[in-house]
Amino acid sequence: MRSPSEALGRDDRLIAGFAALAIAIHILEAAFPSPLPGVKPGLANVITVIVLLRYGWYTAAWVAALRVLAGSLLVGTFLSPTFIMSASGAVAALAVLWLAQAGAGRWLGPLGYSVCAALAHMGTQLLVAWQLFIPHPALLKLAPFLLTAALVFGIVSGVIAAFVLSKLESEPGAARP
Amino acid sequence: MNIVRPADAVVVGVAALLVGAAWASLWGGGGPGEFAQVSAPGAPPRQVALARDATLEVGGRLGPSRLEVRAGRVRFIDSPCVGRLCVHTGWLSRSGQVAACLPNGIVVEVTGGEREFDAVTF
Repeated sequence: MRSPSEALGRDDRLIAGFAALAIAIHILEAAFPSPLPGVKPGLANVITVIVLLRYGWYTAAWVAALRVLAGSLLVGTFLSPTFIMSASGAVAALAVLWLAQAGAGRWLGPLGYSVCAALAHMGTQLLVAWQLFIPHPALLKLAPFLLTAALVFGIVSGVIAAFVLSKLESEPGAARP
Repeated sequence: MNIVRPADAVVVGVAALLVGAAWASLWGGGGPGEFAQVSAPGAPPRQVALARDATLEVGGRLGPSRLEVRAGRVRFIDSPCVGRLCVHTGWLSRSGQVAACLPNGIVVEVTGGEREFDAVTF
């Protein structure tokens, strides 16, 4: 008799493995105190970008969706405002990544994707927070600070993703599912 | 594989410009362009530019209140209320200043420009 796991395709294993990695990073980050509310490094973005470049947008979307869902269940923020912010940011980041890949996929590298995703993530979260939770114009005054942080962390994540990708390419057997 | 491709540099440059624009637009101060926001019962608040001198009538619960805009300032010149507190408030010129005719339900607040105060009372 075949065990249920044998019925899983290669993609399923890939998605599960990368989602697990992304969730681990997500939870580790949640444990660190943040200097400014709403600012966190977003290193789970590294996984999304790596998966996007190696396996395509579809797999990356699955990984990001699973991370938001399972990550929120584990941290205990499922369906809370935090979760809504996280989910809307992830959706926006994925949409922008899709556009970037469709429009400029031939020229863009991990750094470009990462910066696009980070800014889309932060911008959407700000707008959602402003529209849903704190509809006060003062919130928009925070935008430059938060966008600057997003840009810096996007660059950092992009550089990390580029290093990991070049390691993976030089050792093709390293990341077999 | 190169860490930074030319297109990546372009993306980072454009992103930096966007962030810079956000700083400039949200922290660059308001500059000129002051308005008076006039709220009346049963109508959405409207903006009146202070740059152009005018006299306007605003309908309230008791009747029309008359406002005057002159030299970048605004004041009530008449209102069909008892105490005329709104008229005695005098000229409003700084962002954040408010004059209200509560019996008539009309509130005038100066907005725009550089807002020094959250509110001003008398």
